Amino acid sequence: MRAAIGTVSRRLAGAVFFSVAAWFIAIAPPARADDVAAWLARAASAARAQNYVGTIVYQHGGHVQTSRLAHIFDNGEEFDRLVSLDGPAREVIRSAGEVRCYYPDAKVVRVEPRTIRNVFPSLSAEQQQALAKYYDFHKAESARIAGYDAQAWVFEPKDGMRYGHKFWAENTTGLLLKARVLGEHGDVVEQFAFMDITIGGAVDRALVKPTWSSTPPDWTVREGSAGETMPQDTGWVVTRVPPGFVKIMEGYRRLRGKPDPVAHLVFSDGLVAVSVFVQPVTSAPTHVGFSQQGGVNVYSLRLDDNLVTALGEVPGSTVREIASSVTHH
Amino acid sequence: MNEQISRLMDGDAGEPELARVCTACAGADAMQTWVCYHLIGDALRGSRTLAPGFARRFSALLEREPTVVAPRARLTHRLGVSWAIAATVAAVAVVGWTAVSLTDAPTTALARAREASDVHAAELRPQTVPADYLLAHQEYSPATAMQGLGPYLRAVSVPADDGQR
Repeated sequence: MRAAIGTVSRRLAGAVFFSVAAWFIAIAPPARADDVAAWLARAASAARAQNYVGTIVYQHGGHVQTSRLAHIFDNGEEFDRLVSLDGPAREVIRSAGEVRCYYPDAKVVRVEPRTIRNVFPSLSAEQQQALAKYYDFHKAESARIAGYDAQAWVFEPKDGMRYGHKFWAENTTGLLLKARVLGEHGDVVEQFAFMDITIGGAVDRALVKPTWSSTPPDWTVREGSAGETMPQDTGWVVTRVPPGFVKIMEGYRRLRGKPDPVAHLVFSDGLVAVSVFVQPVTSAPTHVGFSQQGGVNVYSLRLDDNLVTALGEVPGSTVREIASSVTHH
Repeated sequence: MNEQISRLMDGDAGEPELARVCTACAGADAMQTWVCYHLIGDALRGSRTLAPGFARRFSALLEREPTVVAPRARLTHRLGVSWAIAATVAAVAVVGWTAVSLTDAPTTALARAREASDVHAAELRPQTVPADYLLAHQEYSPATAMQGLGPYLRAVSVPADDGQR
């Protein structure tokens, strides 16, 4: 009996060994849609539910910017503070209901309400399929980043309408320690990387409090009012979005004290998003054409008495294509 | 033809149009338009343009360059190499001459580029990255969900107040 069990277990071990070996030998097994979704969910869950404090370096073009970032997850709520260490001491504070950006150099504070949204990564089955279809998702090298062991993963686009992405996830928690956006020729468009980080443990609440306990009287407050982003049909239609992109939000926002609400539509392929803004313009000078901030490209054009702007983590040609296809129905 | 050149530069020209523009650019008029449009584009984007007389100086420097011939090449080969070099130099000279005659010549192109950069300064300022749009977008971007607050660095990297659009 014992011998029989031994034979069975040896056979089982052999079978397991061979299937594992076959799995490793298979060259770049195509990622299943749920693999990609599970990986994204792990990264998002770590970014939300872990406590961490670190120094993050943001590189784009020839620019390098170092900031301090603290994140606390407490009782189901996230609290964050991001402070520039070089240049103007700009600060971003995220709490339960809003995101506040302090610009001490311009004496401006911007307040963006956080709204109820389709919280990522609850991707639709459609988006999960699209991710596996339009990106080649695969494991890359192991690395050590900011003192932690990490695993690199690559999202390689299968068409020219998206950027490539490489992420380094910390082995134990899945927290992303480094994220790189790659251009068509493998050039680095933008990169976020922790230089040092402490993951887990208690983080002092003082680290997520703004430097200014109340807004100084001589500062300008630019506040987007809550309730303006309730989903609704704006009448604006984008006729050409790259395959795999689906509309995840449509509504109006009141921005920067503009008299008229701005139509805001968001499209996502599950990994990146493109926003389309349409606002009425009355006065002459209008900014049109391309601009870029790291991995975010922007393209604006004038459509009758409106300014149409497409903006997102995709190449310039893609935002132009999207902006050019906006019509009113 | 001017419109076709413009469309080609914008990447909107089709195959037959591309062929027509390439044929036309053998002529001085179309070539001048081509150079002019690029100068205007550079001025609008605020790219650095080459110093005046660059093409002329480049040609002069090229002329002074010694001709390097592989030291151990056999005579027959050397002959071949020399011919190849001669052909290359001739080709460069033609291109150089064309560039000199077009860009260093006086010139509507330069005047129009200057005009374009004035316009650019006055009202057609190149699209600045709108901070409010960036912030509004950031909340819906999967990057925020995956990387936390880090990507907000994009929003605070641009000036707080970019004026009324």
